[in-house]
Amino acid sequence: MQARETTIRVGGIDVHVWAGGQGEPLLVLHGAGGNRGWTRWLQQVSERFAVWAPTHPGFGRSGDAEWMDGIDDLARFYLWFIDAAGLGRPHLLGHSIGGWTAAEMAAMSPRSLERLVLVAPVGLKPDEGDILDVFYYSPPQLLGMTVHDPTTIPEWDELFGHPPTPEQAEIAERGREMTARLTWKPYMHNPRLARFLPRVTNPSLIVWGREDRIVPVVCGEQYRRLLPNATLTVLERCGHLPPVEQPDAFARLVIDFLGGSARS
Amino acid sequence: MKLYYFSEMPHHEFPDAEGEKYPSLRLEFPNRFFRPEKAQANYQRYLDEYELADQVGFDGLMLNEHHSTPSCVNVGVNMTAAILGRTTKRAKLLLLGNILPIEDNPVRLAEQIAMADLISGGRVLSGFVRGVGVETWWANTNPVHNRERFEECHDLILKCWTAPGPFRWEGRHYHFRHVNPWCLPLQKPHPPVWTPGTASPETAIWAGRRGYTYVPFLVPFDVARELFEYYRQGAAEAGRTVTADNLGFLICAVTADTKAKALEAGRHFVWRMGPTLRGPVEYFSPVGMRSRAGQRFAMRARPRSLATMSYEELVDGHFIIAGTPDEVTDRFAHVQRALGIGHLLLEAQESRMDHATTMRSIELMGAKVIPAAAGL
Repeated sequence: MQARETTIRVGGIDVHVWAGGQGEPLLVLHGAGGNRGWTRWLQQVSERFAVWAPTHPGFGRSGDAEWMDGIDDLARFYLWFIDAAGLGRPHLLGHSIGGWTAAEMAAMSPRSLERLVLVAPVGLKPDEGDILDVFYYSPPQLLGMTVHDPTTIPEWDELFGHPPTPEQAEIAERGREMTARLTWKPYMHNPRLARFLPRVTNPSLIVWGREDRIVPVVCGEQYRRLLPNATLTVLERCGHLPPVEQPDAFARLVIDFLGGSARS
Repeated sequence: MKLYYFSEMPHHEFPDAEGEKYPSLRLEFPNRFFRPEKAQANYQRYLDEYELADQVGFDGLMLNEHHSTPSCVNVGVNMTAAILGRTTKRAKLLLLGNILPIEDNPVRLAEQIAMADLISGGRVLSGFVRGVGVETWWANTNPVHNRERFEECHDLILKCWTAPGPFRWEGRHYHFRHVNPWCLPLQKPHPPVWTPGTASPETAIWAGRRGYTYVPFLVPFDVARELFEYYRQGAAEAGRTVTADNLGFLICAVTADTKAKALEAGRHFVWRMGPTLRGPVEYFSPVGMRSRAGQRFAMRARPRSLATMSYEELVDGHFIIAGTPDEVTDRFAHVQRALGIGHLLLEAQESRMDHATTMRSIELMGAKVIPAAAGL
């Protein structure tokens, strides 16, 4: 399935989007590392779903949104994006800060969404441990802590194997600035989100890597307890990037959940 | 040219080998190495030194503020100003300064600076700084808002000092429904404002537009001249004329009875060039704190970090001036000619430079250097 790149204007901001596939719409929200493009797992999922993978404002080739102050702003923005892109009532999948955004969107407007997939989302204060302070480390240090074992990652070379060009480094820096804008304080969580998650009765799948050193796995348990209709799947020998670290297994999980037995 | 005395009030009271075990002396070096009994004595000693500097004729006493670091335990610049406002008589009190972006209550800051100005009889020079990243971590202020908060905090403080209260402030970062400070500065319309610079062209332009005194810290002369050009650009935009009184410069300096003694004492400044600035770039410049234009300027401005320079190179580059009073006077004259400044700020105590050495340096400055500098 060929993917295409397009731009959708929402609230005066040009949003760069990777789109491809056919089937029910699936909106995919990336993490703080930015939109990694039409990667292997997206290709697989797009064989069953119409995938929309936008680049957040302030990241990559999307426009600026220096007025945004928190993930709740980004969540409202993407509820608007669903209307602007004409997605109807899509499935929603978000990873890390994209997962937090997805959880906020679901809490704000559960009936705007079908099923929910949260992949190692931040957003809740861990009952034990802390979310790693990603701004305290250099990008290379952080990458080392983000994945469990680079040698097992099929797309490692194309995604991380080359030092960034100056232009790529500048884009990455801009993405980090936007992440700081959205998540600085309270760091990577919303103390009130837990109060609203019980509203979200949408079938929900939570995916975590057992070896996640960025967001403690205990947060997965917390999400599972708070969401009334959720299951948690923990992938062994996997860090904070399940879609990249185990793309085939991850794509299979997503397809089974979104098109699974509960729907037939 | 006016001379200012400055000590960072260091707390270098631990074995260096302990500090080296950590990625930086700032943020990460555990405070179990802080020794209250030493600090108690040091605060008295540092204040005595400031008081002598006032008595021997320094034009100003510069105070600064840092947090979470042994390099500077002056953790409240306005507290120190209040003490010296009472115990000194003549010198200006140069607060350089209050770290605006990390301040959550600019109204309180306006009141505290006003109180120091009142206690000192109108001697406060109110410096406003953006701070290094360490203070942003300490305060947990979003670094991407650093410049916005600097400017808005400044605007609110100036309004507190110059606009009749009560008034309301509903800004981007600050919100106060009832501003009516019952403590206003003695100096009218307000204490003179100063701003330091190390690398941001934006700050130089901003200060130039407002006619504030602008002081680059420990940069090579060519970088200082370039920053002064940005300052002049801002001044020209506002139709202001730039004089030597608008421009200052900060260096490290010590004098002694012999050249050998002075050069020995001057070695204490090396600590502040290297070990106290050691650490990951993320600690000192967290993401978004500097504009990307500022980052590019900083890269050009510091082709070599001070930490990589030998003592001799630091002396050759005029980052450290150490010599007999005559030698020091000559070097100060050279700096003045090179930069056209009206204010020279002397970081004149550092690291483990002892009290006797510091006091003798202050005495000699007063007896021989300050009178000579006044004619420059």
